This record gives sequence, structure tokens and C-alpha cells, in this order.
Amino acid sequence: MEITLPLFYLIIFPGFLFLAVYGLWLQWLDRKLCAVMQNRVGPPWVQPYADFVKLLAKEVIVPDAAESGMFRVLPFFAMAAVMTALLCIPVTGAALFPFQGDMVAVIYLLTIPTVTFFLAGWSSTSPYSTVGAMRVLTQLFAYEVPLMLALIGPAILAGTWRLSGIAEFFSAHPALMPAQAIGFFAALIALQGKLERLPFDIPHAKNEIVGGQFTEYSGRLLGFFNLAVDMELVVGAALLNAVFLGGQNGFTGAAAAAVFLAKTIAITFLLALLKSLMARIRIEQMINFCWKYLAPAAMAQVALDIYLKYRLG
Amino acid sequence: MSEFEKEEKIKGALEAQFPGVVSNAAVQRKNRVWLDCAADKLPAVLDWMRGQGFDHLATVTGFDEGENLGAAYHMTDTHMIVTVKARTPRANPSLPSVLSIFPGALSYERELEDMFGIKVQGLPPGRRYPLDDDFPKDQYPLRKDWKFVPPADEVEAK
Amino acid sequence: MSKITIPLGPQHPALKEPENFMLVLEGEQISGATVNLGYNHRGMEKAAEERTYIQNLYLIERVCGICSHSHTTCYITNVEEIAKAETPKRALAIRALFGELERVHSHLLWLGVAAYEMGFETLFMYTWRDREQVLDCLEMLSGNRVHYSINTIGGVRRDISAEQKAEVLKRIAYLEERTKYYVKIGTEESTILARTQNVGKLPYDVAIQRGAVGPTARASGVARDVRKDEPYLIYNELDFKVITHDTCDVFGRLVVRVLELVESYKMIKQILNGLPEGPIAVKVPMRLPAGEAVNHYEAPRGEDIHYLKANGTDKPDRVKVRAPTMANLQSVAYMMEGGWLADAPLVIAAIDPCMSCTDRAAVWDPKKGKTTVYGWEELRKMGIEHYKRRGVDFSRL
Repeated sequence: MEITLPLFYLIIFPGFLFLAVYGLWLQWLDRKLCAVMQNRVGPPWVQPYADFVKLLAKEVIVPDAAESGMFRVLPFFAMAAVMTALLCIPVTGAALFPFQGDMVAVIYLLTIPTVTFFLAGWSSTSPYSTVGAMRVLTQLFAYEVPLMLALIGPAILAGTWRLSGIAEFFSAHPALMPAQAIGFFAALIALQGKLERLPFDIPHAKNEIVGGQFTEYSGRLLGFFNLAVDMELVVGAALLNAVFLGGQNGFTGAAAAAVFLAKTIAITFLLALLKSLMARIRIEQMINFCWKYLAPAAMAQVALDIYLKYRLG
Repeated sequence: MSEFEKEEKIKGALEAQFPGVVSNAAVQRKNRVWLDCAADKLPAVLDWMRGQGFDHLATVTGFDEGENLGAAYHMTDTHMIVTVKARTPRANPSLPSVLSIFPGALSYERELEDMFGIKVQGLPPGRRYPLDDDFPKDQYPLRKDWKFVPPADEVEAK
Repeated sequence: MSKITIPLGPQHPALKEPENFMLVLEGEQISGATVNLGYNHRGMEKAAEERTYIQNLYLIERVCGICSHSHTTCYITNVEEIAKAETPKRALAIRALFGELERVHSHLLWLGVAAYEMGFETLFMYTWRDREQVLDCLEMLSGNRVHYSINTIGGVRRDISAEQKAEVLKRIAYLEERTKYYVKIGTEESTILARTQNVGKLPYDVAIQRGAVGPTARASGVARDVRKDEPYLIYNELDFKVITHDTCDVFGRLVVRVLELVESYKMIKQILNGLPEGPIAVKVPMRLPAGEAVNHYEAPRGEDIHYLKANGTDKPDRVKVRAPTMANLQSVAYMMEGGWLADAPLVIAAIDPCMSCTDRAAVWDPKKGKTTVYGWEELRKMGIEHYKRRGVDFSRL
């Protein structure tokens, strides 16, 4: 009995299965929202699941020039990192395995998929994926700093590096939440970059470099990469929820899960809005934007939080 | 002839500038002038005309007249089209390139080589256009004596 | 940094038709570009020599899907010039009307493609939805959405009724409203400005030297428009401006095209309101006297020029088509060099390339293992059934 419950948590809820199903569902929601905003019909809700199953059934082609072992193993690395990150983020009530400093661990774990994208592109050796891989890495340096800075602010204010602790602090002091608006939007934009969505889908800009880092991927491996990206959306939204929106403190069981879903859906909505409002920018414009505007904005939030902390005593 | 004053003027100027080179110059209607030109003096005529404001080489039309192959250079100052025709014997067809005057003429000249087999002197090496890479090199589809013979496997498919 | 050569095409998501650009990259910047064409050659000029003048009309129409009317009008002007046919005024007006409707449809299409190439999918969807309005107009007037087949030797095939006129005017009024919105978006939205300004520079001198035509040239300040310079059809009676822009970049090309939409709306209204009375076609003999003619036409993409030589029979001796893209492609390599890889698709799209026009080729039908012949109705029914099973019922739309 002692072993089955953690296993249930790990594999079914809120672990792997939930993450996969919810991730694919959020993908549908994102696509549907964009479609509605773009005056289209959009896909039926089964579409992402059908796509995933279809990809699983397709043949995997590994380029001759690619390093076969690494090429095959990378999607699973990406998925494993994202899943591990979720274990530290509160989904129903407290997180599964909270510990002091788990926020840093989550940020670290969320960097791993990006690195696997780079390696995936680099090890495919085709020109498109090589350019894509270089863009992945360049972009990483642009959004990672603002994201980190934006997340530090609330942590300083709450005086803890534990995600559950930050969530508890903000549900105890809801009046401080609006003061985090700058940080929230900075983190939202950086997250958009991390998820490589418009206007930051530069690494796999299809009109320029076809599939970018994933050009040579096919079948099962591509399916798992896509799944990892969808899961990253859930984890990213959950992270923002825990840090800025007070998580689902004060709720238990099914109610907590419902609050979690509602808040992550709201964040997905904002991300979808961002996606349909803009044109893709160039890589050098993105770096300019992230360093000139986004990082200073996040820095201002940190300064504001230090001041607030000082005033509160 | 005051009706076509502009046209007569450019026709007269060409004849005066290039005696013996330009022949059969005619004003067809408003804004249309046609003339023949000796093949070897073609770049000189085109260069002079560019100086007169005809700075747009609209296109080059290859033609096959039996004895002679040739090309018609349609030049325009956007109001008037002056067509300069240069002919070259079928036995050894060759025309000078006008790329130094109109860099935009690259595709037109490649087309002359591909479709009519007119050797364009001074054309830089490069990929052929518009025919396929594996199209026979000694066949020139737009010549009048060229007939389409379907390859054996395509006949079977029908 | 080491150089990478990236092939853009012949099959590439940014290109709608096969062509090939080899880009030499240093990091993200393009240090060299070559344009390779000919993937689409289909031997139209040869085929035209074996068809009668009236058959050629439908062949020439298929030179291009978008500027189908431009090519037939240009061709037919040559035929009528050699035949010395007196085309009725009303027919000329209807041709001009189709020409302008086609320009509207082509420019809206371009706006969508440009938005797509810069990754602005929402604008792409919006413009293409609005483009349906003008396609509906064309379908209502001619019976076809793209290949209108409105021209015939000596005139046009269909007349315009009062109801049709009212309907077109109604839809044009709607599009005018929408275009105001696009002008606003195109000139104010910050990501569009970031992606288009100072991108794909083509200075005035180079535009002239490389023979650029149409909106590409006009955005570099070259005020050339065949409609003004050598008015054909009834353009000398219409009141319109030649739009030019002096930024010489993709932004300029965007502004020129969007403002040309406004001019086209103006012209459509003028033509419809002042449609001359009379017959719409005259009879022209099948055989043309020997002679030759060359005419140009301002297609949506620029100057389209046709040469026709008749030899006294009912078939032409030589037909030459030079589509505007052919003239503009020479500038593309120049525009791309020194630019960013991210801008390459946009720069290519900015001349509004139409490869079919350029190579005069069509879709190659691959040989199938077994042959099954479906009629249009069957295909339609199959499509509807297919989606019905999946919960989408198109028959109600």
C-alpha cells in the first residue's frame, strides 16, 4: 500500500498520464482559441490525440549522418525532464515532492528540454536543423535571464525558494499579488519564448528553415518531442500559477484540481492571445527585445519586491 | 507624318546614328517601332538606346525563320516599345550577349540558348533554363522543325 | 563562422511553387544567393503554335492561376491588333473591370502570403477571408473563381446586369472598409514594421538596371505603370493615381500594394457606374492576316508583355509570353544578399512571385498505379460524406 500510492501519483495523477492527456488537451485549446481569434473553425478536440497516435504508428527514419543513439534518446530526455519538474509544482494542494529550493530545480529542469532541442538539431546534421539548433541556443540566452529574474521577485518577497511556500504566501497576502503584474507579464513573454511559440517560434520558423531542429525527426520520436513540448506548456503554466497566482491554496482534493485547471487554462488563453496578435520577429530583434526591455522589466520587479519586503518588515 | 512625331524621331535618330547597321526601320502604329539590326552591332545599338531613355529591356523573343534564327529585343521607355531584331544563320547561330548593358537579361539569353540553340557569346556559365537538366542538349524545342516524340515508356502508359 | 549553404526549394514551405534559391549563410546572414528556375516548364509557347487562336485563349489563360485575365487580355490585344478588329467599348470596359477585380484579388492574396511569410498567421487568415468577397464577385460575373474565361476574340463572353453591378458595388464597399483596417495594421503594427522596414533593399538605380516592374519597382520610386504610360482598354478615361513609395524595402512594397487596392476600388466603381451601352462582342475571322504585334499590360505583379506573330493561317507562328515575375526575379538575388535568413522568404514573397507564369508550366500529374475516374459531382459528394462522418457538415454552410 505504501508503494502503490506514490506510484499512482507518479504514473497516473498528477504524474505522467495526467500530464500527457492534459498537455495534449491544452494543445487543442490553444489551437482552438487561435482558430476562433483568426476567424477559423479549428480542430475537433480529438485532433491532438489522433495526431499523437498516428505519429506513434509511423516509421522512424534516422538520417545516416546523424548519431543514431543520441538521436533516438533525446525525446525521452526532454519528456523525463518535464515530468520531473511537475513533481515539484503543486497541482492538488501541495506538490508531490516539495523541498526548499525546488523552484530553482524546476527552472533547471525546464532548461533541459531546450538543450535536447539543440542537441536534436545539431545531431541531425542537416542544414535546416543545424540553423534551427543554433537559433535554439541563441534564443535560450535571450529569454532565460528575464524568466529567472521574474521568478526571483516573488521568491524574495515570500522569503522562500519552495514553490508551495510562495503559493502559500500569496494566498495569505492576496493584496500583494497585483504588485507582481510586471513580473507576471515578463515571465509570460519569456515563457512564450521558452515554448518557442509565435512571435518567438524562430528556431522552427517553417517558412525559413522548414521544421528547424525537428526537421529530420519523424514517427514516434517526433511524437514524443511534440508531447514534451505540450507537457512543457502545462508545467510552464503551472509554474506561473504557483509563483504569481497563488496556486490552489485553500482548496483540497477535486476543488484544488479544478482551480489548477482553471488557472492554467487562463494562462494558456493569454499565451494564445499573444500568439495570434503578432508576426514572428527575427532572432536579433528578439535578443534586443529580451535584453533591452524584458530583463530590465523583470529587474524592476525584483527591486519593487525588495522594497515591499523592507516595508513589510 | 506628324501623327507619329515621337516615333519618327527615334527611328530617324537610330538610322542616322547607325548607318548600315540598322535597316527596315518602320513605325507600325503609335508607340511601336520595329527595326532590324546587324547581329554583331547589337550591344552597341542597345547601349545607345539605353542612353535615349529606353532603359527597360522588356523581353527577348527568339524566332525561327527557316534560313535564319534570330531574336527580337523589345525595349521600352514604358511609353514606346522599340523592337530590335537581330538575325543569325541557322548553320552556326550566334548572338552577342547584352548582359553588360542589361543585367536583367540573363534568363532571356539562357532561354535563347535552350529553346533555339543560339549560342550567346559572353553568357556566363550556369544552370540551364528553362529546360530540365536531363533534356537532350542537342534539341531545341522552339525551332520549327522540332517535333515532340514521346519517350517509349510514356507511350506504353497510355 | 563556417559557411552553410541552405537550399530554399524547389520544395519548401515558404514557396508555393517550385523554384530554387541557394543561400550561402554566415551565421544568420546571407552572403550569397543564386536563383534557379525551370522546375515548372511546360512548353506553352510551343503548344501555342499548334493551336488555333481561339484555342490558345484558353491555353494562355492557364499560364497563371492568379493573373489569368492579364495574360489573355494581353494576348487578345495582340490578336485584335493584327486582325484589325473594332472591339466594342462595352467589352473593353468589362475587360478593365475584370482586370481591376483581379488586381484586388491578387493583392489581397499577396498581403496574406506576406503575412504568412513573416509569421503573422492571423492577418493571413483575415485577408484570405476577405479575398473571398472579390472571388465571389468574379464567380458571379463570369461563372468561375480563378480562370474567368471572360475574354473572347472580339469582345467578352458575358454581359453585366444591373443586379450584378449592385452586388459588386456592395461587396467593394465592404472591402474598402476592410482595406482601411489593413492600411492601419500594415503601417502601425510594430512587429510588421520590425519585419519589413529596411528589409530587401532595392535602390532606384538597381531597380532600373535589373528591369524590375510593377509594385516592386514602384516601391523603389520608379513611377512606371503601363495603365498610365501607355493606356490600354479604357484606362485613359479612368481617374487614378500611380502609387509609388521611396523606402525601397519590403515595407514600401506592402504600402504600394495596399494603396493600389484603394485605387482599384475607385476604378471599379468608375467603370461600373460609367459602363458604356452597346454590344459586347464583334465577329472576328478565324484566320489572321500575316503580321506581328507586341503589347504590354499592367498585371497585378507588374508589366506583362506578349509578342504575337501571325502567318496568315488560323494558328499563330510564334507566341511569346514574358510574365512580370521573370523580370522581377533578377532583383531578388540582389535584395537577399547581406540580409537575414529570416527575411529571405519575405523578400522572395515581396515580389509576389508567380513561378507558373515564369516557367509557363502546370501541375504534373503523377502516374497512378490504377486509374479511377471521378466526376466532379462524385468528388464533391465524397468530400461532403467524408467530413459528415467526422462531424462537419459542409452542405449546410
